[in-house]
Amino acid sequence: MLPWIYGFHWNAGHIIFLGAFYTVLTVVATTLIVAARRSRRALVEHRVEDIGWHSDFHDLPPQDRVCRHVLTGEFQSRECPNAFDCRHCAMHAKLIAMHPVEEPDAAEEEILGMTFPLDRFYHRGHTWARVEMDGTVTVGLDDLGQRLLGVADAVDLPQPGTQVSVNGTAFRVHKRDANVRVLSPVDGEVVETARPGSDWYLRVKPAGRGEMDFRHLLRGAEVWPWLMREMERLQVTLSAEAGAAATLADGGVPVEDIAAAYPEANWDAVCGEMFLEP
Amino acid sequence: MDKDFITRGVRRCSPNRFFLWMTPWVALLAFGLYSAGLCLVKGLNQTNMDNRFAFGLWIFLDLTVIALGAGAFFTGFLLYILKLDELKSVINSAVVIGLVCYSGAVCVLAVDVGQPLRAWFTFWYPNVHSMLTEVTFCISCYLTVLAIEYLPIVLKNRKLRQVPSFLVFEFELHKLIYVLAGVGTFLSFFHQGSLGGLYGVLRGRPFAFREGLAVWPSTFFLFIISAAAVGPSFILLTTWMVEKITKKRLVRPGVLELLGRISGLLLAVYVLAKSVDTLIWINRTSPEVGFPAWQYYSWNPFGTWILFSEIAIFGLAPALILLTPTLRRRRGWLVSAAAMACLGVALNRFVMTVQTLALPTLSFDKFLWYTPSWQESGTFLAVVAYGVLVYSFSFRYFQLFPDERMLKAEVKKEEVEEPLETAGRY
Repeated sequence: MLPWIYGFHWNAGHIIFLGAFYTVLTVVATTLIVAARRSRRALVEHRVEDIGWHSDFHDLPPQDRVCRHVLTGEFQSRECPNAFDCRHCAMHAKLIAMHPVEEPDAAEEEILGMTFPLDRFYHRGHTWARVEMDGTVTVGLDDLGQRLLGVADAVDLPQPGTQVSVNGTAFRVHKRDANVRVLSPVDGEVVETARPGSDWYLRVKPAGRGEMDFRHLLRGAEVWPWLMREMERLQVTLSAEAGAAATLADGGVPVEDIAAAYPEANWDAVCGEMFLEP
Repeated sequence: MDKDFITRGVRRCSPNRFFLWMTPWVALLAFGLYSAGLCLVKGLNQTNMDNRFAFGLWIFLDLTVIALGAGAFFTGFLLYILKLDELKSVINSAVVIGLVCYSGAVCVLAVDVGQPLRAWFTFWYPNVHSMLTEVTFCISCYLTVLAIEYLPIVLKNRKLRQVPSFLVFEFELHKLIYVLAGVGTFLSFFHQGSLGGLYGVLRGRPFAFREGLAVWPSTFFLFIISAAAVGPSFILLTTWMVEKITKKRLVRPGVLELLGRISGLLLAVYVLAKSVDTLIWINRTSPEVGFPAWQYYSWNPFGTWILFSEIAIFGLAPALILLTPTLRRRRGWLVSAAAMACLGVALNRFVMTVQTLALPTLSFDKFLWYTPSWQESGTFLAVVAYGVLVYSFSFRYFQLFPDERMLKAEVKKEEVEEPLETAGRY
């Protein structure tokens, strides 16, 4: 059925078959080439972290991908279309303009025995970002994140000078069988890393002109409903990974080192779920 | 030992247990490869096929696995083209099944054709008058497409995706997967059709010969519809089997029901088309070439029971079960109907291959008997072993069922809540 072989004729049947065959080959080859070229471009433009997060986000269960405005009750159900980067979300801008987030009365909020200072912004991957007097931003783990990891076995911190990006890897923590990446809440250059025992992990110099955009982070009155949801997720995850009861007794609060309380649990899976790394 | 390669949050057996599971299949594969090797080295004299009975167990196997493997293209078509998002839960498994079926079929075809050093002749010097040329081209292309579709599943492995270029390539390729799904659908339609057409054009075999539309005999269309009908049933059946073997819930019940409904709908269309085709063949096509149709069924063991079984027991019955919502909701009925549909397509391919060649067509012909040799059976078993090995390996290391982790949490929740609910009754 190829033009150079014996028996081939330039008739409709042969031309249609040959055309279809070569079209298929061309489409398949083009698809591969386009994917390879886009991949190369992404590698050259250092978009690996961004792609890694989008790939992770795609693999999260639907209930973990919900929009922050579902947590505050503004939507019954809505999946976040921007992989938790509300800086580019028109809907978020519109809703915030309509219902600005209430400024907190207190300096911190006590939720289920955990402390959430309200002088900072919270990322849904359990990190916080606090603007310092010198214009840098300190990044740390929130109280639930701290309790999940307890005393970490090891922490892989980036070297000063490393660029971090929103939803990219800020640092990695090893705890028992878990090796979990913690998402960065901010863009910028790491200028300092913490000493052991500090309550923060990184100090970041903002990218660009030094103005930091925190629209994608939770703050003030948004923290409480989000944390309630996180506790629900934690209970479901613990029940799956550690056989714990799906409901906690009223008045119970998380212990300081949750990992130590569940020695049999697959802690890698629990941390993967809670730190949004499926 | 291999924990770093296993998807986070899913449970897999220990490496030793996995090794034990794989060992008998590896042994079976080794035996099969030896059998196939004998056929390739010593020739087709190792088989019980001859110039009269040129299609045997292997072609029956090829046609059957290719029909069952149609679940890959059809699920891809329904998910990526028709946007039936519920099927995301089974698409990876469907791709692996498709790859196993098609690669297995191609390997057996290679043994059947023989002369492996001249395998490239089929592409360079194709027989322009043979439907098999179209089949060869389409299957080769579709196998390539399936291999490319399998690539993102492999690259998504927890360890492999730590390599930046793998992560990025998987992501970019996955974004274009709908193109491959479309190409796969096109190719699969044509080669399923060509395999059917292959029998329909056999004027010298009036049992198989059919009239049709333009250059395509009716069997061209019947093979396409039957493959599309049983593909989802086979995905349903394999998913259920994997759930039973691994004692895990892998997909939501609604997904299996959806597959069953799609399968039932297409099976009903197929049964209708097959019935009309059979009536035309009995009343017009066959008498016109000098054979009253009853004559074909006077040769034991191929009585009319085989036609009845094919259309009514393994066609109409599963179609009705799958189309009845109350029966579809019961797992036993759903799975039995899917198994019957798969058996039905296997029976159809057996009839088209073996019964067609066994029946005498000339006055001096005799009814032919054919029993596969152990080398043929060994090669057949090699494909089965290969399929189990590839699927087992993929299930262990790749994410074939993305909902597995989420369902594990739900199952645990149900287990905990059940005693709490019943506690109040006492």
